[in-house]
Amino acid sequence: MKDRANSSRRPSQSGDPPSPPGFFPKWLNINVAVQDISFFIIGLIAALIVGWVIFPAVLYSKQTQPINFNHALHLDSEKVDGIEGDTKEEKCAFCHEFREDGTFAGIPKLEKCTECHDNPESPLGETPQEKEFLARYVATGEQIPWLVYSRQPDCVYFSHIAHVNMGKIACDTCHGNFADNKQLPVYMENRLTGYSRNIWGERISGFYWNKKPSDRMKMDDCAECHTKMGQEQNNACFVCHK
Amino acid sequence: MKLTRRNFIASVVGGVVGIQITPLPWKFTDDVAIWTQNWPWVPVPPTGKFSEVHSVCNLCPGGCGISVRKVDNRAVKIEGRPDYPVNAGSICPIGMGGLQLLYDESLRFTGPMKRVGMRGSGEFQSISWEEAFRTLAGRISTLRQAGRPEAIAAVDGNRKGSTASVLIERLMLAVGSPNYVRLPSLSDTYRMGNIVMQGRDAPVAYDFENSDFVLSFGCGLLEGWGAPGRVMNAWGMWHEGNPAKSIAKVVQIESRASNTASKADLWVAPRPGTDAALALGIAHVIIRSGKYDSGFIAEHTFGFDDWQSSDGKSHSGFKTLVLRNYSPDQVSRITGVRPDVINKLASAFMGAKAPLAIYGKAKNDLNGSLYEFMAVQSLNALTGRINRPGGVLLPDALPLNPLPYFDQDGIASRGTAKPRLDRAGTPSYPFAHSLIGNLADAINRSPRSPVDTLLVFSANPAFTLPDGGAFRNALSKIPFIVSFSPYRDETANMADLILPDCTYLEKMDDVVWPVGLQYPLYGVTKPVVAPLYDTRNCGDTVIQLAKSIGKSVGSAFPWKGFEDAVKERAKGLYDAGNGQVTFDPASPAWKWPRETETKPGYDSFDDMWKKLAAGGFWYRPPDEIKDWSWLFKTTSGRFEFCSQTIHQAIQKVSARALRITVQDDEGCMAHFAAPKGGPDRSAYPLTLVPYPMINLASGWIPTPPFLYKTIFDTQLLKDVSFAAVNPKTAAAYGLKQGDLVTVQSPAGAAQVRVDLFEGAMPGMVYMPLGFGHTGYDEFLTGKGINPNAIVQAGQEPVSGLPVWWSTPVKLVKV
Repeated sequence: MKDRANSSRRPSQSGDPPSPPGFFPKWLNINVAVQDISFFIIGLIAALIVGWVIFPAVLYSKQTQPINFNHALHLDSEKVDGIEGDTKEEKCAFCHEFREDGTFAGIPKLEKCTECHDNPESPLGETPQEKEFLARYVATGEQIPWLVYSRQPDCVYFSHIAHVNMGKIACDTCHGNFADNKQLPVYMENRLTGYSRNIWGERISGFYWNKKPSDRMKMDDCAECHTKMGQEQNNACFVCHK
Repeated sequence: MKLTRRNFIASVVGGVVGIQITPLPWKFTDDVAIWTQNWPWVPVPPTGKFSEVHSVCNLCPGGCGISVRKVDNRAVKIEGRPDYPVNAGSICPIGMGGLQLLYDESLRFTGPMKRVGMRGSGEFQSISWEEAFRTLAGRISTLRQAGRPEAIAAVDGNRKGSTASVLIERLMLAVGSPNYVRLPSLSDTYRMGNIVMQGRDAPVAYDFENSDFVLSFGCGLLEGWGAPGRVMNAWGMWHEGNPAKSIAKVVQIESRASNTASKADLWVAPRPGTDAALALGIAHVIIRSGKYDSGFIAEHTFGFDDWQSSDGKSHSGFKTLVLRNYSPDQVSRITGVRPDVINKLASAFMGAKAPLAIYGKAKNDLNGSLYEFMAVQSLNALTGRINRPGGVLLPDALPLNPLPYFDQDGIASRGTAKPRLDRAGTPSYPFAHSLIGNLADAINRSPRSPVDTLLVFSANPAFTLPDGGAFRNALSKIPFIVSFSPYRDETANMADLILPDCTYLEKMDDVVWPVGLQYPLYGVTKPVVAPLYDTRNCGDTVIQLAKSIGKSVGSAFPWKGFEDAVKERAKGLYDAGNGQVTFDPASPAWKWPRETETKPGYDSFDDMWKKLAAGGFWYRPPDEIKDWSWLFKTTSGRFEFCSQTIHQAIQKVSARALRITVQDDEGCMAHFAAPKGGPDRSAYPLTLVPYPMINLASGWIPTPPFLYKTIFDTQLLKDVSFAAVNPKTAAAYGLKQGDLVTVQSPAGAAQVRVDLFEGAMPGMVYMPLGFGHTGYDEFLTGKGINPNAIVQAGQEPVSGLPVWWSTPVKLVKV
């Protein structure tokens, strides 16, 4: 063993591996070095695949909403009347309303749907989804267990009215275009945290070249927008973490 | 290329380097951090629509208005209600913790149950309401058919005059049992004192908001007496601003430095049970000075001077009695209070513009002493503080409609003609409406229990009665016990059948005259949430039970539901008129006489009822009663220092039968008499005095577990409660702070730790009321000792109520 370790220090003999080309140190064993580098690269590539492909695929589960809700249909004033509002934002706010005390109702409760779909016996359209909705929820009075794309952790205080009424930000800006959706997007839930993929964003790296506000909803995204809009004081901790 | 160890390591190194240039480490760390926020035991408040429900707290006889904040259907916070006349926004800690009594499932019965384990094991099995009614109605009907309806007894803890209690009493009448028994409370003492001195079966009405000198004989003002919200507002008002310019002085008279005593302007500590002597000592000084209200006494009182009865016999009057027996020196010997302090109190009382002497003992749920109350009332009468602002007012009872008359059938009328087991109302107990101690006694002494079926409503006598465990023993002898309690309390755990009530936040109930309020007020609670479990308002249950029994019992309950019965009684308020349903905090009811007329706030009965049912209230603000001629309904038509009512009662039997230990004349007046009999004091040299705490429930409802976080570790440490003992007394037994000691009375023994407290009177052992539960849930059970278990209470003269405040005990070091 001891000899083996110092074998490179003994004078060359036949049967020894070939010496490396001139500028490499004599003790460098090319064969071993190539193997080292190869396996290193194999490990590297495997890690890259795990980190960039397998990790996001495994981290997120795909879930469908309990009922499909067709935003495009409901906002089409020729097919559906009853959703009041002159502008697109006002139409959004008809269902996703601000209550009298200024709090934001979020995803509407069943009572909002039954303002129009009040009779479980008489559907307003011809879709099988509506029939299912009427039978399972309107008839029983059970609330629809929607999966919420934009739900933030409990430690985050977010005031919709400050952003919509004072900041004059359109709904699309942060939430993307739901109005033209015929189907609700697949809900991808982070298996570890329980939150929707919409918060971290589609890209697992979190880096975007020209980032839109609707790409990500993490804390630094809020801070970036605050700074850009000249509201840097709103980046103080206690503004959102009460 | 083989996979050698070296190659493997190379690939691992490659992997590690590679991972750093993927998002995995950073995303994973961020996700783990968020994961830690979502562990299941981390509480997350609900999101939803905010709303506020206004109702009335019904946890104690105080009845403060509450405002409950809800998020969607979940109640999240109870606060005092700013638009309620009694408390105007203030609330006590137990009231604030009320949500736990609603949502803590381990405290409650979630539906009707029948016992399956051994009695007392607390093991129950769910049954349907149909089966529950069938079982109970069947048993009651069987007893009626057998001609024994009097073997059914009911223990009722609902406040007197509430619709629930009126319905329960009606049920007993219809069924045919005279054994409707209520639990003793401070209101009983007030009521009896008012009967014997004023001829009025009415609650006490203290106008202390308008007083400038409040002499409190034992009232637990800051321990939960009266309506705590009201008292706290008054206390704040009295002490607002510069102490030198405070608008009222408060003197607290009790043997222990309670919170009230510590915060009062002056604390005077007589020996427990000697309050009457102190009050009469003050009266002595006032009479001697001549500065009493001789006009009032001459016009509106009887028995101050010596008098002659119609048979020519001469009788001593109050003046003679007091001057003879209650000089400051004599009183000092009895009470331990220095003569100069007695003189000082008397001067202060005389010198005040609107002094008021108030009486109480602990909170509202334990009775006081009739003679002590009479002594304090005599002090008020002496100085003309009756029917005057800032004094004792005399409003009439609430003009609620009585329930309609009904005919008993033969079985029932024969049953109710039989004598009551508790002998209340008999010549030995002429003024008591209930004596549960006697009921327990009657059961314990008989070889076979005279009570076959016991119904328990809104009460937990196995824990709350200061009887050394006598009622608990009686329970074990009763063949069939039914509890209507929503909580798994000690009495319910001994029951065979549970028909659970809703908690106070889930049902409509009425609140009749908060204790001590100076005007009559009627409040109605509004359900804050729909019942969480399969429970029913006990008023509805009683009506349904009557209908299940059927025949004449059923027809005595013609209402569809409890709400109809409440509405029918409330109509009387509308018919009587002069009431109000609105409250303006800027102009509270106690600010009287009023300059302007206030409008009632309703135009019709339906309008009034709508407001009442929405968690509202009806009240008559105090007003000056100018016509005195009908005010006192005694034999003399006046306030009686010497009660002819007691005199007549003595004539009917004897002073001895009424447990009076003094001569006839003295027995009709307020006096101090040292308790006679009792155990040998050399064997039991110390005295046990239980005391109340504002953050510990000692009545029938459990303490919200939250409040155990407010208990000091000199009151409860791990599972052992403390007894407060003066350091001098402790030193005599060689006891140090925290030492374990057995407190032994003739009724039993209890192990506690010793808390050396300078504010404890030497020779006394003070134990808090409210610990020592064996029911409810893990947060309450097995913590501390219930002093009621070792209290030995003799029966008071005249009233027959227990003397629970001075039990002879001894300490044995463990």
